Order: sequence, then structure tokens, then C-alpha cells
Amino acid sequence: MNFSQFDQIRHLLPDDRFMLCYSGYVSEDLLDAIGLTLKVRLNEHVEDRKKVRQIFSIFVELMQNLIRYGLEGPKGVTIKDDDHSGFGLVMVVEETDGYVSLISGNYIKSEAVAAMQARLSRVQGKTNEELRTLLKEQIRKPTEETSKGASLGLTEIARRSAKPIETCFVQSDENHHFFMMKAFV
Amino acid sequence: MSNEFILVATSRTPEVKLNFDTGTLLLSGECYPEDASQFFNALNIELEKHFINAKKLSANIQLIYFNSSSARALMELMDGLEEKAKAGSDISVIWSCDEDDDVTQEFVQDLLSDYTAIKLKMELIKSD
Repeated sequence: MNFSQFDQIRHLLPDDRFMLCYSGYVSEDLLDAIGLTLKVRLNEHVEDRKKVRQIFSIFVELMQNLIRYGLEGPKGVTIKDDDHSGFGLVMVVEETDGYVSLISGNYIKSEAVAAMQARLSRVQGKTNEELRTLLKEQIRKPTEETSKGASLGLTEIARRSAKPIETCFVQSDENHHFFMMKAFV
Repeated sequence: MSNEFILVATSRTPEVKLNFDTGTLLLSGECYPEDASQFFNALNIELEKHFINAKKLSANIQLIYFNSSSARALMELMDGLEEKAKAGSDISVIWSCDEDDDVTQEFVQDLLSDYTAIKLKMELIKSD
């Protein structure tokens, strides 16, 4: 990457309005470090304590989703399961309409897209009250073996989001999709 | 020397203080551990030890924030306590929630309707 390409990234980032942007391998240690940084920044810039809590909660669930699900690197490089790290892209942006949006992206195997969509369909289009009931049910249920508890995380994100969460899948190569999710506070 | 099980708080795990002599338990701080079930298992083992000889526990839960996997582990902890209470132990839990944290308040309200043997009380605290 040359400086001109690097500079293009700067132009893509909304001036002064992005609170945090990270791309690379994510791990629990990194969640710890970025989480603390985000907390300091939120405490300085966001007056509403409730909003700070919602942003932080969604951030933690998004990051833990990336750590657990983002097992594939951009070139399909598989990371060992026991490394507890995955590849991800995460951004916290203060939007012009007053919302703060939290966006995460990770590569998943194309064959896993349908399962992910099924998981998403359980939380999308639900009312707050329905999400509360679903959350309660999922907390009661033992962790699904393959999901590593992430269904619960998705519901928590949807429950705390001030507007319905948005998701998008983009094919990145013949075997992989890039999965993006956006929540609002 | 007092008879205690103590875990020091970290940036992502709460302070845990279980006093076997007084039968008191305190959970205080943030809670989003890497592996919530592993973290709470350690406490559950100590609680089992406590109930070998004791029939009383008063717990104070003062968690500023807990993630969804911790919520599941906390529910399991409460399940265990409910069993002990049904078997005749005297168990009281005071769960402190921030007054503007409606998601946690809802969680505790659900607990209030789920558990009948535990004396469970929700306490609202003013946010700083």
C-alpha cells in the first residue's frame, strides 16, 4: 500500500465523527485494550450515561462475535480455533442524524451464509418486547454447540440497538463472504 | 484469619468476595470475561463448599455492566441458589442496578418472577 492509498482511507473516514476504527486481527486482549480506549473516549464526548452504556455493551458483543466468528482472514487464511482470535473490522461513528452507529465486518465461509441468515432472521423484524422474551429464552437455553453463544450475543445487540439492526453480505471470493452488521444507539 | 474466597477485580471481571464465616457474597464491578462459564464455575465450586456446612447466604450483586454470556452464567448461579433455598437454606440477594439501566432492570425483574425461594430484592442506585 502506498501513501496515496493510505490517504484515501483517511478521506473515507468521516472527519471528526468517527470515535473508533480498527481493522485487523481481534482477540480478547485487544477487546480489553480497545474497550478501555473507547470507554475513555465515550466518557469524554458523550454526556448521556445511558447512551455510553448502550454503546459499550453493543461494542463488547460485536467484538466477541468477531473473535468467535471471524476465523477467516481476508485471503481465507484460517486461524487456529484455540487462538481465540479472528479477523475483523469495527467502527464506531457519530452520525449526522444524532445516532451513534457501530459497524462490524468479518469474513465467513460462503457455506455458512445461510446459517447466519437464519440466525439473523430470528432477531430481525422483532419488536423490543419480542426481543426481550427471546433474550430471556436464549439465556435459559444451553449454548448451541456450533454457535459458541453468539445467538445470544446477536439478540443482545438487537435488543440494545435504538433502531433495527442492518446487515449485509458481500461475496469476496469464490469461498468467502464479507458479513457486515450495523447497530445504532 | 478469616475464611474467605477472594478474586481481585480486573478491567473485565468483578471483585468477588465470599466470606464463609459470615455467609456473605459480594460481586462488584464490570463483568465481560473471555470465558464467562469458566469464571463463574470457580465461584460455584466455592459456593458448593460453603453450603456443605452452612445454611445461610446473603449476596450483594453490584455489577455495573455484564455481557450476555455473563447473564447466562449469573442465571445459572441463581438457579443453584434457588435449589439451596428450596432445600431449606436462607438465601437473600440484593441486586443493585443503575437507575437508568433499563436493560439490567428488566433482567432482574424477570429473575424476580422466576425465583420464589430466594429472597431477592432489586435496588436502584443513582448513576454518578
